[in-house]
Amino acid sequence: MRHFLRMSYLAAGIGGLGFFAMSVLLLGVWPGIALERQIRATEPDHPMPLTASEKRGREIYGHNGCPYCHTQQIRYIESDVRRFGRATLAWETIFDYPHLWGTRRIGPDLSREGAVRSEDWHFAHLFNPRHITPDSVMPPFDWLFDGAPDRPKPEARDLVAYLETLGRNRELAGANGEAHSRAGCDCSDDEKHLAFDAPLLNASASMPRSAGAAPKLVSPADRNRGLRLYARDCANCHGPRGEGNGKGAAGLVPRPTNLAEHEYTPDRLSSALWNGVAGTSMPAWRDLPVEDLSAIAEVVRGFHNPQAEQASSEFGAEIFADHCAQCHGESGDGNGPAAGRFPIASTDFRSQRGSYEADLRAVRDGIEGTPMAPWRAQLSEEEIAAAAHYVRGLFRP
Amino acid sequence: MNASANRPRVDSRLVFAHGLAAIVTLLISVVFGTLAAIELIAPDIASNAPALNWGRIRYDHTQGILFGWLVNAFFAFLYHAVPLLTGRPVTSARLGEWIFGLWNFAVVLPGWVLVLAGFSQPLEWAEFPLVIDAFVVLVFILVAIQFLPAFFSRGLEDLYVSSWYIIGSLVFTLLAYPMGNIVPELVPGARGAAFSGLWIHDAVGLFVTPMAVAILYFVIPAATRRPIYSHFVSMLAFWLLFFLYPLNGTHHYIFSVIPMDAQIGAIVASTLLGLVVLVNVTNMLLSLRGAGWFPRDIGLRFVSTSAVLYLIVSIQGSVQAQMSVNQAVHFSDWVIGHSHLAMLGFATFAAAGGLIHAWQRIPWARYDAMILGWAYWLLIAGITVMFVDLTIAGLVEAHLWQSAAPWMDSVRAAKPFWLIRAVNFVPVLLGFVALLCGLVVGPRGGGLKMIESTIGLEPIAEIAPGFAETA
Repeated sequence: MRHFLRMSYLAAGIGGLGFFAMSVLLLGVWPGIALERQIRATEPDHPMPLTASEKRGREIYGHNGCPYCHTQQIRYIESDVRRFGRATLAWETIFDYPHLWGTRRIGPDLSREGAVRSEDWHFAHLFNPRHITPDSVMPPFDWLFDGAPDRPKPEARDLVAYLETLGRNRELAGANGEAHSRAGCDCSDDEKHLAFDAPLLNASASMPRSAGAAPKLVSPADRNRGLRLYARDCANCHGPRGEGNGKGAAGLVPRPTNLAEHEYTPDRLSSALWNGVAGTSMPAWRDLPVEDLSAIAEVVRGFHNPQAEQASSEFGAEIFADHCAQCHGESGDGNGPAAGRFPIASTDFRSQRGSYEADLRAVRDGIEGTPMAPWRAQLSEEEIAAAAHYVRGLFRP
Repeated sequence: MNASANRPRVDSRLVFAHGLAAIVTLLISVVFGTLAAIELIAPDIASNAPALNWGRIRYDHTQGILFGWLVNAFFAFLYHAVPLLTGRPVTSARLGEWIFGLWNFAVVLPGWVLVLAGFSQPLEWAEFPLVIDAFVVLVFILVAIQFLPAFFSRGLEDLYVSSWYIIGSLVFTLLAYPMGNIVPELVPGARGAAFSGLWIHDAVGLFVTPMAVAILYFVIPAATRRPIYSHFVSMLAFWLLFFLYPLNGTHHYIFSVIPMDAQIGAIVASTLLGLVVLVNVTNMLLSLRGAGWFPRDIGLRFVSTSAVLYLIVSIQGSVQAQMSVNQAVHFSDWVIGHSHLAMLGFATFAAAGGLIHAWQRIPWARYDAMILGWAYWLLIAGITVMFVDLTIAGLVEAHLWQSAAPWMDSVRAAKPFWLIRAVNFVPVLLGFVALLCGLVVGPRGGGLKMIESTIGLEPIAEIAPGFAETA
């Protein structure tokens, strides 16, 4: 009897170990083999591994709990895909030792964060997230800087370099890569739809694009709502009165626009709010409804003080044609022959107008961080003044 | 009959040492948790202080709860229970001192310090850096040497269900630990995540839960002086749990790129798990019948509450593993509420109950039943507020995430709930301070005298009936 019991316990013990082995095989090894096969069938030809700097940034990201608030996994469900983009494919994580999928989202998913924002934006935001997003609860990473957002230590540069890699390989794969992945993907139609059919740009991503249709603004009903939204989402960089002097402006180059010195057509504001301003730190605000964007636009237009109109001269037109039209276009629409090469679009003078002083400054001193060069060495004061007057006259409200 | 006459020798010093270390590391872990909660309300207090960084504090909070509080409390319980369950002393008192020293001064303390200094790995329940893992594995090997031989030295025929849970827990943890701590460092991305998911669940399912259930099945008969309702059901549940728990891991990654068959397998296992826990807890509650919902014996009171919380958290787990629920609440504070119900509720109440039970039986330890009663009610208040608050927060977040609202709306909506959670540190911390006070004030040996002067020390038969027959 005792021998029988002992043997049955022994058998049970071995069985117990078998349970564990089975779990490892079923939930670890077998999915691993399936994933490996999937990865080989779907990965692009030359996925780009991380550089030394990006690897160091990844370490910093892991050591400071970033993945515990920011997932790097867009699930195969509509709400995830709508918000963050195409669902994560198996091969996208092949360089992740260890994986950083995460199980909690306090902040947004970062799978597609690379190339979305300017480096300055990241530095200013890391230095103190509340300088950019007032209600953020993200910890300050000011200890990665020498006292100011524009003085990042090497660690901060590494971290931002790493953030720039998120989603990079998927983007580099391009249309051919997507087609290859789709063909090789051993997945259901639903999964294919979520992984490949979602628009690369989605309603909530703040990915700026250089051009694109923007919705028509409506006439806002509630001015107070506009003021509240401006204070919440815009004032941190553009300043409480639109003067471009908010807390978040400190490290940004080019600096946030002084809205009080500019007037805009509604379409120009709509485009800037909907598309962001590519090449600058201005994100897209596609996650706000058109009513809210219209309310914000109304506040922005309210910052402007009208100035007396001055007739532009033939002389100004000549200066513009000789020196400015190359980039800003003959008609001043920002589509000159040279404009296409710039990371930041040349100003379209028909849809926005600076104050005389602002334009004078821009021509004389250039605009830091943009292709707009200073002209004080090439042009006389008189010529600069004429050019400034001329471009103001191009505005078509 | 004098019950203590034939009781095998319990090394009270090691019960005491691990018990004290458990509560001290618990208080520190709660401070970490409180700090993390406050930083979500006032993030700028961590300005220019990398050691106060939210992520590092968060790592130290959960690692401290697991490695500091629960492991020490479980070891304290094992030093009390294993000799009684087996009729043999543990392998070596000297080895016990080594285990105590290594665990607290080569794992917990340096682990905390390294994490705060910026050395960690971003893997759940595995945040201590790799160098610490070596010591964890070493200690668990030593712990196996310390406790397991006692079970086998008389042959296997008399194993009570708690013994099964203890053996299972010690053996499987040794196997499961490298899955979550080392494999994802070697196997990248999605493939590593599959293993990571195993450990996320195994840490709770194959270490914490079996130890806690071992305590429940030990303390209930010892304190009620009655055998458990059904040994057969207890063993049936044991085998079903050890079959199902390891198969749960992938439920942390539903709708991920991990093959759908594995996800569905984990969901099925999670569903069945709730049913098995229902059977298991029913057996415990039937064993408790007549003891009342809030037994006078404080150790038993913690333990019986733990059994109820075990049932609630397991049913919740089964529910939230379902695809339709998971789709909405995953990633939200709902999950944080769930994990607090498991760790601050079920596991902590079991560990505290086991510790109080063992501590009360140390002949020279202090004991104050009234303060421990306060600890119980404060902790009940703390876990209730924590769970309700975070569950509602999770539902609000889930609702906003399904809508087209900007992401920041979900952060703004969660803030009032985070404030309540932060303020809730008051009952939780006071409760644990009361737990400490209840065990270090009062007359020496007061706890044991209280038992002996009333109903007398329990005979071993109530804990291990099989052993009592053959002894």
